[in-house]
Amino acid sequence: MKLSLPENQKLRFLRWFDFRSWRVGMLAYILNRVTAIGLVVYLYLHLVVLSILTGGPTQWDPFVALARSPFFLALDVILLAGILIHGLNGVRVTLTGVGVGVGAQKTLFAALMLVGAVLLLAGAWKIFMG
Amino acid sequence: MQNPKRSTLGWFWQAVTGALLLLLLGVHFIAHHFIAAGGLRDFNQVIAYLGNPIIIALELAFLVAVTIHAMLGARSILFDLGLSAQWERRVTRGLTVVGVITVLYGIWLIYAILGANSAVAFWAR
Amino acid sequence: MALNVTLRMFRYRPDQSARYDMFKVTVPDAANVLDAIEQAWAQHDRALMFRHACHHASCGTCAVRVNGREVLPCIVPVKKYLDGDKPLTIEPLKNFSLVGDLVVDVANFFQKQAASGLVITRPTENKLEGKPIAYDQGLDPASVETVPFNRFENCIECGICLSACPTMAASVKFFGPASLAALERELDKTTDPQRRARLLELADDEQGVWRCHSAWECTETCPQNVRPAEAIMALRRRIFAQRFGFGK
Repeated sequence: MKLSLPENQKLRFLRWFDFRSWRVGMLAYILNRVTAIGLVVYLYLHLVVLSILTGGPTQWDPFVALARSPFFLALDVILLAGILIHGLNGVRVTLTGVGVGVGAQKTLFAALMLVGAVLLLAGAWKIFMG
Repeated sequence: MQNPKRSTLGWFWQAVTGALLLLLLGVHFIAHHFIAAGGLRDFNQVIAYLGNPIIIALELAFLVAVTIHAMLGARSILFDLGLSAQWERRVTRGLTVVGVITVLYGIWLIYAILGANSAVAFWAR
Repeated sequence: MALNVTLRMFRYRPDQSARYDMFKVTVPDAANVLDAIEQAWAQHDRALMFRHACHHASCGTCAVRVNGREVLPCIVPVKKYLDGDKPLTIEPLKNFSLVGDLVVDVANFFQKQAASGLVITRPTENKLEGKPIAYDQGLDPASVETVPFNRFENCIECGICLSACPTMAASVKFFGPASLAALERELDKTTDPQRRARLLELADDEQGVWRCHSAWECTETCPQNVRPAEAIMALRRRIFAQRFGFGK
């Protein structure tokens, strides 16, 4: 079926992020997709960075010193936020998909995000202060 | 009971690897960022860490799970570009290849790191 | 009392580029949005294309987007949207081919509905909220089953859920929330194992229930409380139960 509306033909994927609806499920879906893309990009960055290890301590240790700087630690907190949002939202999708909490998906999402927020605060504390 | 269709298995494995990742990523994150002093291991600490075969098994399990999860997810997202049937097949094949290469790279990386360690041990002697 | 309202109407013809026209109309205080659209047609432009029939949320013909959200304009009051002099933006449903102005081509949608087994006339209801209804004594259930009564479906096939669905926006190949909900209803109804297997096969497809990204927009927008997202989750559970032999 061909869509004839001009806006439909170009950049269709932008419709993944139709922010007009701030309803819980749509928000969860958008968050899930944004974090998914971010985490895949991070996964490959991470794997490439790990190749520095093959260069031995002379190459790895200066990198670790850099990665312990506050800027990189802040990036770690963002990473943790992405993991928590994506992982906990995955719990919602999986549970509802097998019939658990179907009637309470909004409450489920809110509760999971609350758990995520607590874990994020604890994680951020540990990353900076630990 | 019948044989599950590929479509069911895609969602099923995404859920299974997702659940595994919650566990393995927890271990991975805690082991690398929370237990290690200063948040990250220096080279010698990495070698000592990888000296434990259980850790290698866990890291490999993590790598396989995360790759399957990422490839299935990327496939789902790419399909949302409204691809033709032909491009959908290409994306599936392409991502399978990327996934296999990713896992092989990870395995090579562990060998290479431990190899570098034996070189270090050699020079240290 | 009367309301003065400006409609910012989406206009489109296949040979022209899309634009918005402003129509100032006056409608009674209690008017619904469809009344205002009809006023625009009657007073300003007889070439305005829009669809409607029943005026009471029964036919599912008039669905459009008002200020971006999908509604049945026949049952939403103009008053609800009035905000100073701000115009009401009236646009056609998303994720369908445009025919002209507010009219979209629903042929593909109706084909999917037919495939999912939803029929307008069906045997009388034998279940209420999933539980079998106990017939009065002396009434032979078999005879009741064979009499085609009017429909007992909530779904009015308005297409609103397809317009709101982000997966539908990404790919029109997706079977869609309304048709999956219809399929789940049909599975509930039929006991013929062959037919059940065929229906499940239709749902258990790359473009079936597994394509849904769980945004629940269909359930949120449905004006008739059909709850397509819940139906999709129920189908997933059914498929798991059948393929893996666990669950329900």
